[in-house]
This record gives sequence, C-alpha cells and structure tokens, in this order.
Amino acid sequence: MTAIIEINELSKSYKAGKAVDGVTLTVRRGEIFGIAGPNGAGKTTLVECASGLRRPDGGTLRVLGLDPYDDRRALLQRIGAQLQEAALPDAIKVGEALRMYASFYDKPADWRAVMDEWGLADRRRARFGNLSGGWKQRLFIALALVGNPEVVFLDELTTGLDPAARRTTWGLIREMRGRGVTVVLVTHFMDEAETLCDRLAIVDRGRVVAEGSPRELIAEVGADSLENAYFALTEREMA
Amino acid sequence: MKGLANVVAVELKLIVRDPMSAFFALVFPAIMLWVKLRGGNKPLRGGTPLIDATVPMLTVFVIGLATLVVLPATLAHYRERRVLKRLRATPASRAMLFGAQWAAHMLLAVLGSALLIVIGLVAFGLTAPANVVGVLVAWLLGALSLGSIGLLLGALVPTGRAATVIGLAVFFPMVFLSGAMIPRETMSGSMRAIGDLLPMAPAVQAVRDGWAGGAPSPLTLGVMVAISIVAGGLALRTFRW
Repeated sequence: MTAIIEINELSKSYKAGKAVDGVTLTVRRGEIFGIAGPNGAGKTTLVECASGLRRPDGGTLRVLGLDPYDDRRALLQRIGAQLQEAALPDAIKVGEALRMYASFYDKPADWRAVMDEWGLADRRRARFGNLSGGWKQRLFIALALVGNPEVVFLDELTTGLDPAARRTTWGLIREMRGRGVTVVLVTHFMDEAETLCDRLAIVDRGRVVAEGSPRELIAEVGADSLENAYFALTEREMA
Repeated sequence: MKGLANVVAVELKLIVRDPMSAFFALVFPAIMLWVKLRGGNKPLRGGTPLIDATVPMLTVFVIGLATLVVLPATLAHYRERRVLKRLRATPASRAMLFGAQWAAHMLLAVLGSALLIVIGLVAFGLTAPANVVGVLVAWLLGALSLGSIGLLLGALVPTGRAATVIGLAVFFPMVFLSGAMIPRETMSGSMRAIGDLLPMAPAVQAVRDGWAGGAPSPLTLGVMVAISIVAGGLALRTFRW
C-alpha cells in the first residue's frame, strides 16, 4: 500500500513549550489510522499541521504529496476535516449546510446523494442546534465527505457521545474506509482504537511512543488489551 | 458565483431566523420612523418635508444597524462557536466569507429600507426620490463603506457579546452625530462639525442629496470608496478564523 501521509521529524512549539517533538509516521492509502494519547500529548497539533492549519517549526510533512501549509489551497480541495469542537451555526438546516459546504469545492460529491447515504434525508430540514449529539456527528461526517476527499481527519469525533451513538459512529467510519477514503482518527478511547484502527500511533509528550496495528502494540508490551498496552507505553496509571 | 449566491442566501436566512437581528434591522427603524413623524409631517428649516428627510436618513440608520451591529456580532459569534474554525478546514477563502457576509447583511438592510419606504409612502405621503440612480449609488456605497468597517470589527472581536456591545457603542454616537437620526438641519454647528468627521456622514449626505434631486458630490462618493478600500483591506489582513 502506498503512503498518503508522510511525517518526518516534525516539531511544533507554542509559547507553553513543545507540542510536537520529532514525530515520524506514515499513513497508508485506504486505512483507518489512529492517533491516540493522553490530553496535551500533541495529537491535535499534529492533525492541524497535517491539514494545513498550522505551520510546523521543523521536519517535513507531505499529505497527498503536497506541503500542507504552502499548498493549502490545493490540499483543502482533497481532504475533509472535522476538527475538535468545530461547529455550525445553530439555525442552519442540515440540507443547507451540506449544499453550502459542497459549493466550496471544485469537484464536490452530489450533496443530496451524500445526505441520503448517511441517513440524513429525513432530517434535511432540522436545524443543527436541535440535533442530538449522534446526529451532529453524522452530519459532521457527511460534511467532511461532501467535498469528495481522499483523506479525512476526524479529531475526537465520538467524545461526549453515549455508547450507542459511539457504536453507530464507528460503523460510519468503517463505511468511509469501505468507500476508499483514508481516515485519520484522533481519539483517547482505546476500545475505539482497538476495534476501528488498522494501525495507530500512540503519542505522548509530543513524541510517538509506539506505532503499529493494535495487535502488534499489544504484543509489543505483552499486555492483554490495547488499553493496558497504552498505559504501559505511556507509563501512566489510572487515577 | 453560483456558490457565492448560495452562501449569501443561507447567511441571509440565518440572520432572519435570529429574532434579535430581524428586530434590529426591520422593526426598530420602523419604530424610529413612527416616533419621528408622531408630531406630524412639518417642513424642516430649508423647506424639506420631515418625511422626505427622515426616510432617506433612516435607510442609512438601517445600513448602520445591519453592518455595524448585526454583521460584527455574526462574525464574532461564528468565531466564538468555532464555526469559522470548521470553515477554515475547507477551501472557502476569507474573501469569499467577507463577500458573503457583506452581501447578506446588505440585503438585510435592503429589506429594512424597503419597509421604511413602503411605510413612508403609505402612511406619511413620502415623495419618491428625484434622482433614483443617485440614491441607489449613494446607498450602495454607504453599505460598502460601513460594511467594511463592520467586517473590520468582526475580524477582530473574539465573542458575539463583545461585538454587540462594541457595535452599539460605535453605532449610536455615529447615527446621532451623522444626521441619520436627527436631521442635519436641526443640529447645532458644532455637532455637525463632529459628525462630518464620521464615516456615516457622507452616506447620509449622498442619499439625501439624491432623494432631493441633486447629484451626489464626487468628493462624498470618493470618501466612501476610500473608506471601503482601507477598512476592507485592514479587515482582510487582520482577520482571525
């Protein structure tokens, strides 16, 4: 499988200190790649660099062969992103949002088809502010896909969802992969990473502490689950 | 272009769905008109019937509300709620965002102005504008120049609440001193002198000139173009998603 994202010795600092400190990793075309780690590990910064929203301080970064920051205009046509806490105006209706987002892209998907495929047709006239958490996430997924992207970044998509809605969202993410879209998933739920991700990187204090399939990571530390492997790798205990 | 028209249409719907902005742009100016004309349609010093001064003035009052109060609040609210953050991850450019926001709020002001004109015609015997093209050009340039200032406010202010406070703090002294609320004929010389320095004054003057049948002065129109370019350019440069 070919590499779709190549990150080499990437670093990014803020006033408060180093957020990303020499990260190297590769995401392959067509996989669900997880980025897991404790709060403040640098996951979001990593994704923001890869989607062209932040300029890294050092290292190299290629997404679809492009430099995300310098070639942002070209890149944004080919990726979809649902970033942490990003939202829509409460009064916008589902159909309006999809149609408007489709209009931003040169070669969008048919927004009506996307709306149907993701089960949003019945809620076409519902306002964003009146949707439950699960339906909001479904709309976010549809919006991330309406531009017909090759890569989708999802940052903590399932945070705050009830267990049933999370499980449904997992199904949607698998469906994305089934359509050939590469998914980069930021999460701090290990059960989510274990069931969904083909491969993942565990990030701690701005560095990759392990990379591989869930099975490989579990075997690497001789743990019985990804969750226990995660705690062994990040050397943190549950409070 | 089709994409932009779609975004403008959605943004205009969002504004109208918010009862606060609908009140500000549609109901409030109509109340102002009623308050002004309550005492009868007396001629002003210089002979202009009160209604023929008040409606043109209040169309600029509406522009001020839509572009200096509602528009910055919309943009800042989008920033606060991270709507802009989501947009930033799409190919939508800041120029497109500004264009759509300006156009949607300008159309809101069109609705408010049209309402004033209809009330003026039906209830108070408003005289139709003598120089329609002059009025349209003046009104549009007024919307462009004040809209650019509104975009600049919206580019900088972090929260919707702060934007509303700042917008109102800019709006009220401006309409008061620029002759958009009180006819210039009834203002003292010093008030007029201060008002003439404010960016709303040329809009009021040009719309009233056109309504009375005069050609708007090139200087007045030029000032509005200059304000649009400077404030609009600054807004684009200082904008934070």
